[in-house]
Amino acid sequence: MPSITLRVVTKRFGKFVAVDQVDLDIQDGAFVTLLGPSGCGKTTTLRMIAGLESPDEGEIIIDGKTVFSSERGIDVPPDKRDVGFLFQNYALWPHMTVEKNISFGIENLKWDSARIKARVAELLATLKIEQFSKRYPSELSGGQQQRVAIARTLATAPRVLLMDEPLSNLDAKLRTEMRTELKRLHVETGSTFVYVTHDQLEAMTLSTRTCLMKEGRVQQYAPPLEIYNEPANIFVADFVGNPTMNFIAGTVRSVDLDSIKIEAAAMSLSFTPGSGSVTLGEDQTVVLGVRPEYLRIGTGGAIGAMVYSTLPSGMETIVKIKVGEQFLTSVVFGAIDFLVNEAVSFDFIGNRCVLFDAESGRRLASGNLET
Amino acid sequence: MKLGNRAASFIRKPHNLILVLLAVSLFFLTLVPLISLAWDTFLVHPSEVMTVKGTQPGDYTLFHWKKVFLSGLTSQNLFWTPLWNTVLTALASCLIAILLGGVLAWLVTRSDLRWKSFISVVFIFPYVLPSWTLAMAWINFFKNRLVGGATGLFTALTGIETPDWFAYGFFPIVIVQGLHYAPFAYILIGGILRNMDANLEEAATLLKASRFRILRRVTLPIVTPSVLSTFLLVFSSCMSSFAVPAFLGTPVRFQVLTTQLYRTLNGLNPGYGYIIALVMILMGTIILAANQWFVGTRKSFTTVTGKSSNISLVKLRLFRTPVSLVIVIFLALVSILPLLSFALESFIMAPGDYSVTNLTTVFWVGSGSVDIGGGEPGILLNKYIWIGLWNSIRLSLVVALVAGTVGGLAGYAIVRGRGTALTSFVSNLAFFPYLMPSMAFGAIYLSLFSKPVLFLPPLYGTFALLVMVGAVKYLPFASRAGTNAMLQLSGEIEEAGVMLGIPWWKRMVRIIFPIQKASFLSGYMLPFISCMRELALFVILIVPANRVLTTMLFQYNEKGWNQYANAINLLIVLVVLGFNWALNKATGASLDKGIGG
Repeated sequence: MPSITLRVVTKRFGKFVAVDQVDLDIQDGAFVTLLGPSGCGKTTTLRMIAGLESPDEGEIIIDGKTVFSSERGIDVPPDKRDVGFLFQNYALWPHMTVEKNISFGIENLKWDSARIKARVAELLATLKIEQFSKRYPSELSGGQQQRVAIARTLATAPRVLLMDEPLSNLDAKLRTEMRTELKRLHVETGSTFVYVTHDQLEAMTLSTRTCLMKEGRVQQYAPPLEIYNEPANIFVADFVGNPTMNFIAGTVRSVDLDSIKIEAAAMSLSFTPGSGSVTLGEDQTVVLGVRPEYLRIGTGGAIGAMVYSTLPSGMETIVKIKVGEQFLTSVVFGAIDFLVNEAVSFDFIGNRCVLFDAESGRRLASGNLET
Repeated sequence: MKLGNRAASFIRKPHNLILVLLAVSLFFLTLVPLISLAWDTFLVHPSEVMTVKGTQPGDYTLFHWKKVFLSGLTSQNLFWTPLWNTVLTALASCLIAILLGGVLAWLVTRSDLRWKSFISVVFIFPYVLPSWTLAMAWINFFKNRLVGGATGLFTALTGIETPDWFAYGFFPIVIVQGLHYAPFAYILIGGILRNMDANLEEAATLLKASRFRILRRVTLPIVTPSVLSTFLLVFSSCMSSFAVPAFLGTPVRFQVLTTQLYRTLNGLNPGYGYIIALVMILMGTIILAANQWFVGTRKSFTTVTGKSSNISLVKLRLFRTPVSLVIVIFLALVSILPLLSFALESFIMAPGDYSVTNLTTVFWVGSGSVDIGGGEPGILLNKYIWIGLWNSIRLSLVVALVAGTVGGLAGYAIVRGRGTALTSFVSNLAFFPYLMPSMAFGAIYLSLFSKPVLFLPPLYGTFALLVMVGAVKYLPFASRAGTNAMLQLSGEIEEAGVMLGIPWWKRMVRIIFPIQKASFLSGYMLPFISCMRELALFVILIVPANRVLTTMLFQYNEKGWNQYANAINLLIVLVVLGFNWALNKATGASLDKGIGG
């Protein structure tokens, strides 16, 4: 079972630094997603692991074997790295049938024809595409092409599977279906999966660890729930979660032993850190982060507000409210329909509100928030 | 009434109106001349009354057809041998062009070759230059005593007399045409390789396929349909090329169809020539059909991707510098040296003597003396040269303006009206002139417009006829450019204008043209450049009053006034390169666009 290690890997395109001193440890059997907005360097990182792109600096080690090292001048070509790669646009060969597309890779391994045939049949069955074996890629739908691409990549049983936004060209329903299949494949093959996506929901639902990147740098590398609950900085907090976290700018007024008074958006709030101590100065500017599910709307709440809009979707309702000039979002389970401009009140609940330093954007503490 | 309403609403759409107008005018400008040409082959011509016994001019006869196809040795010399020569030279030239162009295209797009942008620009030279440039350069270098006069530079430098097969005929024609069309193959194949999704090759690399296997099983099959199509286009261009065989084949009586066409049309039996023209058009049409069949039945693998820019290049390692050097030296030999040879030859007093004392400027600025070239003054002082230059530029400008505009409108109408029979009729008619060999096309217009047609007076000898033949002949370039431009533009862009009540002409001028400016402009640029260097199309239509530079060059060369010919050739080359450069600078459009990285 292979692990993958990146050591201070840097890649430049001309003057543009696509990947900036990235360190990453991917354990064997992990399902790691590289997450971030477009242009953050996630695809470049993946292509460097595959060997399709050569870093300018750094070291890449797959399964204990150094496949790239700028210092020692090692650059193992992609075909010697024993990795599979799933392309965003599938890259199926248009002039070969489904069968040929799948068998092409195994033929390179010099298997005998009976064994090749058996392997192709096995893959066709696993991915439920037997009936298309004689067709050309252009005669298949997007979802079917996706399955063929997966079969082709799995054919040689690579122990590392690299995927570059493989589901982004599918419609919403197929995407959910393929997510389920990918998660099963991960368990069945036992391979190490590295998966690039810009969709935070995909990262949350699929991976064992998520690496969130921005402008070529790693922002946070942790299990998805940790990223969700304890985001390293405002960027991470904002990128993960839908609807997005509420951010309230404020100023520290007084610091007691275990409670901090904060003046924010015409509200006087007190924040109690969950664990450990926080060093704060008086008049320090901070940002409070509150996930929509920790904002409870009711009639007996402590703070009054006005309903700005209500978006019921059946299972849950997203309510946007206005306190003074500050907009806040809340998610309520079940369907409720408020009137526009209806007066309501709300509370902050739970102990997972986050306190950020306004200047650096870094997380200072998590804890509970009261009026 | 209902039918009337439908017709009215049909014609109210601008693209339908354009289609109808184009269908009618192209019918008269391409199909009618063709029919008239065919008709002419069955008539007795005034000069033939003595040969075809007992007939009057205008009588029907099968005389021409029998002579061309079925009269033993006569047919052999007149038609069958030239046909065989044409096919052989075209095939061999094609192979050279595609091998050279294809290998270079692969090296430039897929390997870490050095000096790519230099190579890409200079390699295009032979194609931008008139096709006979290389032929004249070949003669300058390898001329032997066969044609009389002095020997070429090669013999002067080495003392080795070149054999006839090397200096004239099949071998040099094939080499010169191959080199001339290699850039064409390079542009087409390079474009395909550049647009091909690099992921397709990367996927194979990751599956451990060797470089060779990837080339054989993935890259080649995907580019095959386009390479075949390139092959057919180059073949038809080679087949209709006139200047190169005229320069290199004539000294050893190596005849091809175009040179035969020129001889017969200028001689007493234009009927033979018309039949040869028909055969060439038929071959062209078969090639078009074959091309469409290839593109239609083989799946054309258009690949759309946003990521093919970050393709990993094949490392040539040890060979990188040697291979790059060899290519640069080769390019210096075929693209730059010929130009130097024209300059040198035009400054030499007695041909064949390359010593410093023999240099003279008399052919450029001499006042002319009776013992040199019939008393012609140097070309910079010769007012006929200046008239010719002015005629060339004037003609090219008008042709480019007409062809570019009509082609752009045709592209618009063809894309908007896609799917109807009328549209495919117009689309095919607009492409048809491309397949008609220039010489045959000239022959058609000569046959049709030397007498009054419908409301038109006899046009032979007028500037208008040259414009007409040029505009129709180059329409395919412009309509292709226009069609491509329109295909890249979503219909909604224009519909947004329709919804705001913007009139049609304003939508064209203010919305559609500005967005696809580069593509439309190339529809003006290609006809202009092609017209500047065209010989075969005009050579039989030109009269002394409206001579253009290219036909003057041809005449000087036929008279054996070598230095004048070289000087004029250099003039044409400089004008063409100058305009090409200026157009590149002004519009950003260029022939090798995007291949050289």
